[in-house]
Amino acid sequence: MTSASHAASLRRRFSRANDVWPWLCAASVALSLLMLGALLTLLLVRGLGHFWPATLEEITLSSGETFAGEAVREVALPQQAGEERLYFTGNQDIEGVRWRWVAIDEIVERAQPKDLIRVERSPWGDFIGRLVAIEQGDQRWQGDAAWQQLATLLTLPANQRQESQLLLTTVDGQILRQPLASVVSAQAPNAMSGWQKTRAWGEAVWRFLSEGPRAANTDGGVWPAIFGTVLMVILMSVMVTPFGVLAAIYLNEIAHQGRLTRLVRIGVRNLAGVPSIVYGVFGLGVFVYGIGGSLDEWFFSDTLPSPTFGTGGLLWASLTLALLTLPVVIVATEEGLARIPEAQREGAVALGATRLEMLTRIVLPMAAPAMLTGVILAVARAAGEVAPLMLVGVAKLAPQVPIDGEFPYLHLERKFMHLGYHLFDTAFHGEDVQAAIPLVYATALLLVLIVLVLNLTAIFLRHYLRRQRGNEC
Amino acid sequence: MTLPRLPSSRQPLRLLKDRMATGLITAGGIGVLLAILAIGVFLVWETLPLLAIGDTFALAKFSPLAWGTLKAALAALLFAIPVALGAAIYSALFMSARLRARIKPALEMMEAIPGVVVGFIAGLILAPWVERHLASALMLIIWLPLSAALAGLLWQLAKSRLRRRLAFSWAGLWLVPWLVFMVAIALWLAPWLEQQWLGGDLRQLLDQRYGMDYAARNALIVGVAMGFAVIPSIYSLAEDALADVPSTLIEGAQALGASRWQALWKVALVAAGPGIFSAIMIGAGRAVGETMIVLMASGNTALFSASPFEGMRSMAAAIAIELPEASPGGQTYHLLILAALVLFIFTFLVNTLAEVVRQRLRRRFRQMGGTL
Amino acid sequence: MNTRWTTLFNKGVTFAVWRTLLSWAVVILMLLPSLAWGQPATISGTLGAVGSDTMAGLMLRWGETLTTRYPEVKLQFQASGSASAPTALMAGTTRLGPMSRPMTGEERDNFIERYGYPPLELKVARDALIVVVHRHNPLRALTRQQVDEIFSTSLACGGEAPIRRWEQLPATRDWSFGSIALHGRNLASGTHGLFQQRALCGGRFRNDISEHPGSSAVVAAVGESANAMGYAGFNHLTPAVHALSLYNDEGIAIPPNEAAIQSGDYPLSRYLYLYVNLPPGERLPPAEQALLRLIMSDEGQQIARASGFVPLTSSVLDDQQRW
Repeated sequence: MTSASHAASLRRRFSRANDVWPWLCAASVALSLLMLGALLTLLLVRGLGHFWPATLEEITLSSGETFAGEAVREVALPQQAGEERLYFTGNQDIEGVRWRWVAIDEIVERAQPKDLIRVERSPWGDFIGRLVAIEQGDQRWQGDAAWQQLATLLTLPANQRQESQLLLTTVDGQILRQPLASVVSAQAPNAMSGWQKTRAWGEAVWRFLSEGPRAANTDGGVWPAIFGTVLMVILMSVMVTPFGVLAAIYLNEIAHQGRLTRLVRIGVRNLAGVPSIVYGVFGLGVFVYGIGGSLDEWFFSDTLPSPTFGTGGLLWASLTLALLTLPVVIVATEEGLARIPEAQREGAVALGATRLEMLTRIVLPMAAPAMLTGVILAVARAAGEVAPLMLVGVAKLAPQVPIDGEFPYLHLERKFMHLGYHLFDTAFHGEDVQAAIPLVYATALLLVLIVLVLNLTAIFLRHYLRRQRGNEC
Repeated sequence: MTLPRLPSSRQPLRLLKDRMATGLITAGGIGVLLAILAIGVFLVWETLPLLAIGDTFALAKFSPLAWGTLKAALAALLFAIPVALGAAIYSALFMSARLRARIKPALEMMEAIPGVVVGFIAGLILAPWVERHLASALMLIIWLPLSAALAGLLWQLAKSRLRRRLAFSWAGLWLVPWLVFMVAIALWLAPWLEQQWLGGDLRQLLDQRYGMDYAARNALIVGVAMGFAVIPSIYSLAEDALADVPSTLIEGAQALGASRWQALWKVALVAAGPGIFSAIMIGAGRAVGETMIVLMASGNTALFSASPFEGMRSMAAAIAIELPEASPGGQTYHLLILAALVLFIFTFLVNTLAEVVRQRLRRRFRQMGGTL
Repeated sequence: MNTRWTTLFNKGVTFAVWRTLLSWAVVILMLLPSLAWGQPATISGTLGAVGSDTMAGLMLRWGETLTTRYPEVKLQFQASGSASAPTALMAGTTRLGPMSRPMTGEERDNFIERYGYPPLELKVARDALIVVVHRHNPLRALTRQQVDEIFSTSLACGGEAPIRRWEQLPATRDWSFGSIALHGRNLASGTHGLFQQRALCGGRFRNDISEHPGSSAVVAAVGESANAMGYAGFNHLTPAVHALSLYNDEGIAIPPNEAAIQSGDYPLSRYLYLYVNLPPGERLPPAEQALLRLIMSDEGQQIARASGFVPLTSSVLDDQQRW
């Protein structure tokens, strides 16, 4: 490559770079890398760290008050010296709140007693305190026996532990009777070994990936969102691939290569730069209100006013995103088609092939990897888009996934959950941002990983392709 | 293209199939193009009522949105253009080829990071941090270029063995730990400097001496966050343009006595100028239409203010939060669709301009470089 | 236009034939051979609701409880602000519209114009708007005029001059943070509308208020900056912020606590509503009925409390057993 040798020659000349400018330029690259690295590290550390069983502390204040909790973060006090620390204290049903800010100066003692436990319950969130006993009918377990009994009871399904209840006490001595049926899990993080913590971490990550959200999206996992994202993206690719490829073939192989075609090509290319929200507006106006509303009037008038297609849903969302990613597929496919040497086409035609035969036997197989690259890039773009979906069909909570055993099996009219929107929603609409932030980090990490893996696949595919094509030519 | 006739019994069927396929492809292709055209038609159609009435009240509500959009985009470009162009110059002209093959995809990968993730980090993590450490954040803006220059100076003074070890062509990589180190120093120094020179609290100073308000979600935050999102698109295109400048041009300039930096500044940059221009245009298009980052990090205040410490509301963000609630046919609905139309037309024009310039440039280089 | 088409079809061939043909045409058009939709006659058990995001957590918790009781009944909820509920009810995109404020006369008239009957209005819980400041702010109470002077430009509640800086309030005379940074909700939310109506006496908001897409975002933003003040729903209160007492007409400062909100003594307390599109004389489908039964039950009201709201008094509950 000329540019490489030219860079090499420049490098030689700049071997004693004595200007400031080149250093500023180099620092720009470093700064960009630094920002990217910092973002990814932040997501990795905070996203994965959330699942690690956190140490529980028992705090004694200078006023003599005690409480137990998990230290979350520290900030400087406004207008005075010193810092304050935020503790997650749980026990919302007893205290009315889940958090506590304490000035560090007020803390007299920080202990980490091994018998502090954290119980996850389904209506009221976490309890932090001590286990006194387990009662089941007339039976009663105390001390270590209670802990072991709890571990065995928790393996049973919720409806088989109806009669049992936990006798819990907070560190300042308030007693709570907790029915075991509403307990999700329990752990004593201070007494856990490193290996046990790792196992607990793995289980927590798995639960995050495989379970639905709980407690109004402030807890639980993101499985429906993963499922919704994947399903929408699959539907979208099913729609965008044939149309994108058709349009690319038309532009590159069939249309008269004149000024008009060139203009159209530029136009298509530019659509990739049109903001996604504009596609969302189009989807809402045309698909949802226009086509969806009419479909409802024609076929589902008996269920009106309950809408079927006249509301945002899976079908409209994937159609909108298909339109949004169409330029990506067209451009990538066209690039692949343009790379195929004209000689191949001429040879095929010279040997007596019709245009269809030439296309299906010679051109398309050669352009297939380029198309695949285009589709993967389209999928990566669609997986990360949120703005248009806010208009055409994501739901805050749609526990019913759009595929099930009921007759049409695939319910295109249903709303669905989407990872990106779930992230936005938990971060801004949730009940308590502070409580949701760890989950938001984890969701963000998952989303970024999915998108990056898809992009990397596309890059490697393209790279591999170029090299292969390089050998051919 | 006319097809040769072949003496075959199956020929009519084949030709028929061929004709049908051609028809299908043509129909599909034109259909897709029409669908794309439909976007524009729909938007115009829906805004006609508003424009026909010439509703001045609605247009008055529209202008802060337009201003907010411009302000957000400008803030992003102010941050992104220097960084992206610097990175493009370095990686096209100085970087080792092996490193470049790794770094370029990595930086392009930045583009793939979803806006909602960047917006979340900016709005909920970065904004409160900057609010508490405003002096440190502002100091970093000056400190980072200085530390790059300092690195250059130290490098000049270093022994040649070390210089060979830490080659300039790899500086993009080994400057990363250096920058981390310098950032750490800045963060450590800033509170002390603030105490010494600024009387303890920069925000109080701003307020008392200049009467400037500080909103936590402001143009500064949006600029950095959206700049982050825009850097890769500018970088990638500008880098391509610079790498395509025929080396004969630069060598010729140096043969005529230009210094290294002069050759780059006066010849390479000028030759690639249109390419760089189109890169910036594409970046501007992206910045204008970016929704989630502005929505989450801008505060959504409909203000006419040029202060970098105050918020703004952009058209895209307004569409995203207000359109689901606007009843179809109502004034707000039409207004928001007008915003969508403006975004559509603006980005389309800007991108078309960029594309035309880019293609013309490529043709020129092809003529000049010959072998390219 | 659509209705014209429909009548045309009805005149010619029987509608059923057209319906099959057309549905096939649509199917092929979309290149989705597997596409088919549920028969309208069967009750899917999926409840859709569009509306207030103040009530999002509450609706979701009710939905969760409903699902544990009837596993086949699911609730999907789109939280996009109270103003979206009448829109969605009107456009027919949903039958259940949770709102954090009562419908305005105009919204109700539009609904009646479209359907010929008013929507069924149910009170489902009690809530309040709170004015919050940073947890270290010494300010403890405000008068209604002061609230108006801080948040509005119109001074419709009889205030004298706008309050822009902390020094202008007696309690924070030494609080040297300069201007008050204001945080609030976006235009579409019921919280925004109600605050405008009740706290600003229908006046105009200042235009430099940061508009957040959710109440929790408002509380989080105020909790992060010492010079901030904002308004939000009571259920979003966290220890990061401090909720101010408001003076009532008798000049007594009323703190926003459960008792004061339930009795309505706290000046900015409000009901949360659920609007249902129910034609007169018809009965709701079983899934919707189950949801309403749950909401009006003791358990449902306890869930409201767990979500940070205030349960209804039994007299209010008894008053609305007419669905």
